[in-house]
Amino acid sequence: MFVISFLVRRLAQGALIIFLVTLLIFTLLRIVPGDPVRLMAGGMAPEALIEQIAEEMGLRDPVLVQFGRYMSGVVRGDLGQSFVRPASGASTGGSSFGDATRGERADVLTLIGETLPMTLQLAFLAIVFAMVFSFLVGIPAGLSPGRWPDRVAFYVSSIFISLPGFWLGIVLALLLSVKLGWLPAIGYKGFAYTILPAIVLAVELSPVLIRTLTGSISSAMTMPFIAVGRVRGLSQRRIIFAHALRNASVPLLNLLGIQISGLLGGVLVIEFIFDYPGLGLLTINAVLQRDFPLIQGIAIVTSAIFVLINIAVDLIATLIDPRLEY
Amino acid sequence: MNSSPVLSVRNLSVDVGTGAGARPVLSDVSFDLAPREIVGIIGASGSGKTVLARALVNWIDPPLRIASGSVEYKSQNILDLAGGRMRLLRREIAYVGANPMGALDPTLPVGRQIVEKLSAVVPGIDPSEARKRVIDLLGAVRIPSPRLRFDEYPSQFSGGMMQRALIVDALVSNPAFLVADNVTQPLDVTVAAQVLRLMRELTERFDTAVVFVSSSLPTVKEAADQVLVLSEGRIVERNTPQRLIDAPQHPYTLQLISQIPKIWTSEAAAVPRTPNAARPTISIRDATRTYRVRKRGTFAAHSEVRAVRNVTFDVMPGENFGVVGESGCGKSTLMRLLSRLEFPDSGSVICNGEDLSKLRGKTLLKFRRDFQLVLQDPFNSLPPRTSIGAILEDPLRVHGMRNAKEIRERVLTVMAEVELPANLYDELPLGLSAGQRQRVNVARAMVLEPKVLIMDETLSSLDQTEQFRLLALFEKLQVQHGLTYVFISHDLAMVRRVCNRVAVMYLGEVVEIAHNERLFFDPGHPYTKALLSAVPTLEERRYKPEDCLLEGEPPSPIDLPPGCSFASRCPHAFDRCRAESPTLTARNHGELAACFLVEGPGARAAA
Repeated sequence: MFVISFLVRRLAQGALIIFLVTLLIFTLLRIVPGDPVRLMAGGMAPEALIEQIAEEMGLRDPVLVQFGRYMSGVVRGDLGQSFVRPASGASTGGSSFGDATRGERADVLTLIGETLPMTLQLAFLAIVFAMVFSFLVGIPAGLSPGRWPDRVAFYVSSIFISLPGFWLGIVLALLLSVKLGWLPAIGYKGFAYTILPAIVLAVELSPVLIRTLTGSISSAMTMPFIAVGRVRGLSQRRIIFAHALRNASVPLLNLLGIQISGLLGGVLVIEFIFDYPGLGLLTINAVLQRDFPLIQGIAIVTSAIFVLINIAVDLIATLIDPRLEY
Repeated sequence: MNSSPVLSVRNLSVDVGTGAGARPVLSDVSFDLAPREIVGIIGASGSGKTVLARALVNWIDPPLRIASGSVEYKSQNILDLAGGRMRLLRREIAYVGANPMGALDPTLPVGRQIVEKLSAVVPGIDPSEARKRVIDLLGAVRIPSPRLRFDEYPSQFSGGMMQRALIVDALVSNPAFLVADNVTQPLDVTVAAQVLRLMRELTERFDTAVVFVSSSLPTVKEAADQVLVLSEGRIVERNTPQRLIDAPQHPYTLQLISQIPKIWTSEAAAVPRTPNAARPTISIRDATRTYRVRKRGTFAAHSEVRAVRNVTFDVMPGENFGVVGESGCGKSTLMRLLSRLEFPDSGSVICNGEDLSKLRGKTLLKFRRDFQLVLQDPFNSLPPRTSIGAILEDPLRVHGMRNAKEIRERVLTVMAEVELPANLYDELPLGLSAGQRQRVNVARAMVLEPKVLIMDETLSSLDQTEQFRLLALFEKLQVQHGLTYVFISHDLAMVRRVCNRVAVMYLGEVVEIAHNERLFFDPGHPYTKALLSAVPTLEERRYKPEDCLLEGEPPSPIDLPPGCSFASRCPHAFDRCRAESPTLTARNHGELAACFLVEGPGARAAA
């Protein structure tokens, strides 16, 4: 019962948030300079034709009218069509005009549907790497504050946080794929292509996770029930794994919610460097081409993902610690 | 008790720190604990009693260090046992501490954690049998509906309930002895008395020997067969409780006994009646405050917590007015209403003829100036990184004083008044004792020259000696500045010493208002009698716990039963009490009690 009421309440809130985000993005995109029709039709197209296309597409209507039209599509699951991308695949946008392949434009939903799973796969693998590594380094550090495991964790996270992702990506690609040939790096032809970018993302994620884990475990270990637990006859292993970690996991979980959301931004650079065909690469191209419907679609989908992740995080946190109530 | 002792402590010494800086905490402590015996250990704060309690269960962590001596159980020194072997002995050696709310993991159900302990110390026990045993014991310590309570979380338990669950946790493995360290200290008097009674009962039933550590001699007297007096880490006296009280030998014991407040004997302070005055300073009229909290697991349903209900009383100028009651009775909400931190939902608070809710701007600032609060917790109520001088200057600046020299002078005057040395001006509060911190709090209130001070449990965190000193200070300030005090407290002995008039609260209602003497010698409400029967004192009680002491705990302020809210615990309740709620009825001399059994001028005869 609690879970259902929680989900209903939070999903309703989430829908409102997504609506507001969409409204914001939609308005901002129409305020910024740069006429997308000019880009679509090509630099050489006559002014009159551009006006005509714009009229036909409804781009000269008031913003709110356009928004209403767009939202009515969104609720039916139609995110519109890309201004620039043809359904056949190739991404164009050059100066030529009257290209026959432009007739059929790609559905935004299809474009996102093709790339999102790739990004989720990358993000998931990065989080697995980051979590495993952070637990291996962070738990011993949290259990012995001030001693060598704590210092190791401190140095490791300091170094990791100082490494710029794009630089690490290039260096690792050179080292692991070019020199050693262990892992493929550029493009995507199979699961192995995900590993290297995931490692780079994990290196970016883990410092904050390690610090939080170290801090929350060492403070959980000072709670009275830990000391009393020993006197009550619980084993050290049980105290650490059943109680200290359980109590330390709530701050970590909250952080993870924020980190995952941040990760979707972090993939922009990494996907670009590794030419990984995910949502990040799609976003960069969409922005460069002023592909409004595509940008909007990506924004809606990403904000929906943020909202869902945060709901999931809060739900898990409440299940771990029933005193929390969101 | 001729059988060989369960536990023998021999020449035990514990130091804090190592090397040259080491300082003894316990020196040369020796005693035996016979089977089924209850040994009480008493001492003031800082006497080393908690360290002793922990040493008995081999829980000495750095910077504490065992310097010498032994704690022998089954002819082995448990202090020498390594972690793993000690862990096996935890089945037979149990411990209950003073902090029930922190003792269990807040994220797991209470019952599951007790089962976890049981299966840790009794490996291989059948889980369903362990569960059954825990539920049985939860019932035995009179936790209502133990089957449901088993799956509830620590935060859903009250302090008294939790302490009972921890007694179950300690006794569930049938230990040979139990160390109880200040178990009743955080509990309300009536609940503490219940827990104490329960411990006696259970230790008899399970044949457990007990070491009962406490700072309250009256409590130890009720519990123990044998009392050891601990002073500065040494046992200075040992005797049976009655002989110890009748003929104390050591000066420290004498001092401890002399500090126990007197309530009914002639030595008790005589408190004058309230001076007559035309107009009350504060007048609270039929005030009600209800909080809405969202019900967990529902969409939009709210529960109403009725924290303060229809409270009416006057506080006269120059008076010491006491508000007493146990935790959760609405004392703190009342304080928030009186100090205009919150407004009543209905009714009003009138101060010097003006309704507080209508004050704005300058008049509000003037009210704030006249009306100051001193809070309970001396540690969290002072900003740790601000010097004491700056803490005291702040209110003056808020109230518009600008001249730095005048401000400094005023602050130094007040510091002298509350007997704080002037050289503390630039110090941080870090090194101050609880008593000194409370003086800083009083000074912070006094610096604005208020007319009314509200003391919300101001003295409850201090030991007897320091309480006495602060009370003397309050008296002095009252004479000098004509102050009015409102003491909000659960400590009846303190109230007996200082308050002219006392209001007793139960579940958000005032159930009795009376002058000091009348309240303590002839209370009109059965709840007041119950409170009086549970006051820790060495005196012959006017109200016997057997006749007056309550079972159970107050009902939740969310689901108030119909009728008198006290009916569920009242030994005299009859049908009418369960159907309609009594109102405050005049007894005489302006004394009021809300009970159908009250007989007074104009009161209806009891049914």
